[in-house]
Amino acid sequence: MEKYINTMKELLEVDDLDLNDELSSFDAWDSLTNLSVLAFCSSEYGISLTADEIEEAKTLKGLKELIESRQ
Amino acid sequence: MNLKFRNKKITGILSVMPENEIQFDDEIENYNFSRQQSMKLKLVMGFDKRRVVSKGTGISDLCVFGLNYLIDHGLLKKEEIDALVLVTQSPDYFMPATSHIIHGKLGLKHDVYCTDISQGCAGYSFGLNKAFMLLEQEEINKVVVLNADILSTKVSHKDRSSAPLTGDAAAITIVENDPEGEVIYGSVKADGSGSDALIIPAGAFKMPSSEETGVLEVDKSGNEKSMDHFNMKGDEVFNFVQREVPPMIENLLAKAGVSKDDVDFFMFHQPNKFMVQQLSRMMEIPESKMPNNLVENFGNANSVTIPNLIAHNLSDRIKEESFRICVAGFGNGLSWSSLLISMGQLDFCEIIDYK
Repeated sequence: MEKYINTMKELLEVDDLDLNDELSSFDAWDSLTNLSVLAFCSSEYGISLTADEIEEAKTLKGLKELIESRQ
Repeated sequence: MNLKFRNKKITGILSVMPENEIQFDDEIENYNFSRQQSMKLKLVMGFDKRRVVSKGTGISDLCVFGLNYLIDHGLLKKEEIDALVLVTQSPDYFMPATSHIIHGKLGLKHDVYCTDISQGCAGYSFGLNKAFMLLEQEEINKVVVLNADILSTKVSHKDRSSAPLTGDAAAITIVENDPEGEVIYGSVKADGSGSDALIIPAGAFKMPSSEETGVLEVDKSGNEKSMDHFNMKGDEVFNFVQREVPPMIENLLAKAGVSKDDVDFFMFHQPNKFMVQQLSRMMEIPESKMPNNLVENFGNANSVTIPNLIAHNLSDRIKEESFRICVAGFGNGLSWSSLLISMGQLDFCEIIDYK
């Protein structure tokens, strides 16, 4: 999951993050970033998420669990 | 509208790519967007490399180069060509038709049915449909369908919604009669009320280019373009595709009496990687059966994407094997179309570079 953390730092444009952080709390969180997460999950983990599912995951931890549940 | 054709087959596909390759990373500075945002766009949309023509190269040059390649390699004989069907929205001239320019450059016989069709991203089916109809004529045995566009010349380089995905290309598809051929199912749909969703407003007869039409204006997303440029209402197009394409395919497969599992490949138009992935998610078709790797390698070249996609993904296999392929295009008009056709044992299927 190191790749997950590093990619999230890149997409959310921050140097550090906590898994309990809410996605919507980041300044860079917008529809394009959501789609970037969706594209990353598709290419890296081969799973299909919807933009709504990603929003509903709320936190970075929730998103991580969502990815793991689909693998 | 549902269509049905009998006893026809595709016998070869050749794609011609212009020689200039542009990298998205080199153009990021043109856009009114942060580097991080542009890198996200790259990831989502599949922006990477695209091919564009040099100034002065027209679609007739790409088409003639490809046809001469086939003739020189013994894959096509000039005297066998009974019809040239050209699908394009970037003709060499307003008049005459570019199919006649190509006819003249090749020195073909006078008994040739030449015609240009103005269709965009839905155009691959339109050219094939025309070929199937022409082949009903006793004196027509071989139709050359040409798809060619060089719309990179009409996009604003400061418009990140169009420029990074627009590529130029031409493709040649040979269509012939086949007494053993399976039934080909098709459909075409039109909605002219959405004609302004994808449009080049100025430069033709109704609004000729002028100083005024060349003025760059900034839209609400920060993209700069003029009336002479390709203009797209991205959100309307995205909604149109999601709303209309899945039911069109459901209907096509129902008419043919086959299920999604019976189809080997879904070769869909490639507007960008995300939209193709979105369709495969909505229709629950695995990405392995619905390739989305064209825009990142060559760009979106209007009606040329589908033959390019087939040549890029199946070139060697489709010369040996046979596949049931579902083709779907969707774009300006608004226009959307599909075909369910078996393709295999092609005489040729490859991509060459224009020189």
